[in-house]
Amino acid sequence: MTKPIRLAVAGLALTCFGAVGATAQDEGTVDLVLGSSGSPFYQAMQCGAMARADELGLALTVSAADQFAADAQIPVVNAVTARGPDVAAIVPTDMQALIAPMRELAERGTKVLTVDQTISDVSILETQILTDNEEGGAMAADQLAQLIGGSGKVLVITQPPGSLAQDARTAGFEAALAENYPDIEYLGAQYQSNDPQRAAEIVTSTLSAHPDLAGIFSTNDQGAIGAITGLRQAGAVGQVKMVAYDAASAQVAALKNGELQALIAQNPRQQGEVAMDIAASLFAGEEVEPVTMTEIVAITSDEPDLADRYEYIADCM
Amino acid sequence: MSNDIAITKTETAEERFLRLVTNGWIFLLLLGLVAFFLILRPAQFGSAYNVQQLAINAAILLVLAVGQTYVIMTSGIDLSVGSVLVFSSVVSAKLMLMLSGADGTTYGTTDAGWDVIAIGTLAALAVGAAWGALNGVLVAIAKIPPLIVTLGSMGMALGGAQILSGGVDVRAMPELLVTQIGSGRLLGIPMLVLIAAAVVIVAGIVLHLTRFGMHVFAVGSNAEASRRNGIPTTRRLIEVYAISGLMAGIAAVMSNARFSTTTINGHTMDNLATISAVVLGGTSLFGGRGSVFGTVVGVFIPIILLNGFVILGIPPFWQTVAMGAVLILAVWIDQLKRRLRKRG
Repeated sequence: MTKPIRLAVAGLALTCFGAVGATAQDEGTVDLVLGSSGSPFYQAMQCGAMARADELGLALTVSAADQFAADAQIPVVNAVTARGPDVAAIVPTDMQALIAPMRELAERGTKVLTVDQTISDVSILETQILTDNEEGGAMAADQLAQLIGGSGKVLVITQPPGSLAQDARTAGFEAALAENYPDIEYLGAQYQSNDPQRAAEIVTSTLSAHPDLAGIFSTNDQGAIGAITGLRQAGAVGQVKMVAYDAASAQVAALKNGELQALIAQNPRQQGEVAMDIAASLFAGEEVEPVTMTEIVAITSDEPDLADRYEYIADCM
Repeated sequence: MSNDIAITKTETAEERFLRLVTNGWIFLLLLGLVAFFLILRPAQFGSAYNVQQLAINAAILLVLAVGQTYVIMTSGIDLSVGSVLVFSSVVSAKLMLMLSGADGTTYGTTDAGWDVIAIGTLAALAVGAAWGALNGVLVAIAKIPPLIVTLGSMGMALGGAQILSGGVDVRAMPELLVTQIGSGRLLGIPMLVLIAAAVVIVAGIVLHLTRFGMHVFAVGSNAEASRRNGIPTTRRLIEVYAISGLMAGIAAVMSNARFSTTTINGHTMDNLATISAVVLGGTSLFGGRGSVFGTVVGVFIPIILLNGFVILGIPPFWQTVAMGAVLILAVWIDQLKRRLRKRG
């Protein structure tokens, strides 16, 4: 059953639900559990997965909790376990808390793989689809160092510690600074919990303390959007160079109009596609690699076409 | 005792019947949802596995919602339950880690014994109850509106948890806690569900069958009249908020056992989830009317909705819409019924 029809049915009165549901096909059933609903990144992943599942003839069902947190996601994983698909691709929201529910899923005969994030017990997984966040952080350091001419004060805006991916980006950035750029003064990391307002406040307060701030690295899109707002408020756009992780629409727009100078983009669409490819290999009984890396690219402000190509777009919703 | 009865409006048989019917309406809605998903996906929704998971997913929220029921009965509100849970879970986890001599960066599980787990549990309960008592003192003695007090302590407790832990989850729990309580079973029933059931039963008895419970109803109906009739309203209010904090402490231990890590970035919506469960269950936001049983039904409705929607494969955005709609619809029907009753 195709997505648009299913959406239409869901929109109708409850009594119409009888018609809904993944019809088991010969190629098998796949479930994709995203990190959270309503995030451009995960929607792009969903679109990639849906397009590839159609090509391969897989019956794909996508679900997500409404927030990126283990206690919200576990009931969704439990419900998927009750459905009992052949393969489940999951974006685990916590390395530790998701182990038990995912082990149950694997024990009940579903082949489990992780996408984008991972868990600390990989014995229950068929494979992990990952990006190298440390490498991405180091790429951000190189970009920012180039933009500010190798010297000056830089600030990192990231999420509170505990998110593996965000921590790795910060660590990679810090390591690259320490190793290659001795003239850059690192002001440390400030935390915002996916809150642009907070990120804006951090930037304006930092500018009060350090009017000669040269560069900012934000490890995610919400931080970048807030930081740009802060720079605009302080009239420091362009004077303070800005590099940010991810390529949400707002970030691509900011790159084009010169409010930020470089993006470190992942490819969530490709992650979704790879997940379906691996699912198809699993159905065919083929061996799969334990880890599949998906790409990250640095996009500078003189590459608008590249930015368009990598923009996180949900063209299938 | 006769004094108390004089001021809590005695219910006529007819009123009691109507109250049961309005509460019963929510119960019927729950049964309707269950029947609906059972008819569409009997093998998946009705499997023993799924029923057990539903109960486990409800367990922690149930314990929090019981405390919230007491608070809302007194026409108060407690927004701090999720943050107090997080704070208590961090204190408890760090203490158990310290006592088992493992260092702070340990991953997975430690080999701490039941003595360490008991100390960790008592610490969580004490810390939770202390936050609750602080809320109660500020509400009852400083006379600050509960909405503001608990909004403030929500931030303080979460910030405090982040200070204590450096913002990094404590990721090592005693093995025994995780295997025996978190995923353990007694006679085939998950331990977490048994704990929640015990809490609900005790809380129900206390609220509906004891003098203390009668006082809670009275304070919620009319605090001034209660005070004049010699009910220690200030003390009762502090106790009620302390109970809510204590419940958050119990839930913290359950959360540690279940997730085998503290969840500092989770539980952000627990306050609203419990408030909507309590209201769905027919407890009045203006106090003085409600039941623990109604709250149990109110907790299960969103959990069953989410589970059924995922099993049916309905897109996630629809789930969020449906949950909000059910809440408004349920309370609206409740109001209509009561207005009809007043007219009749």
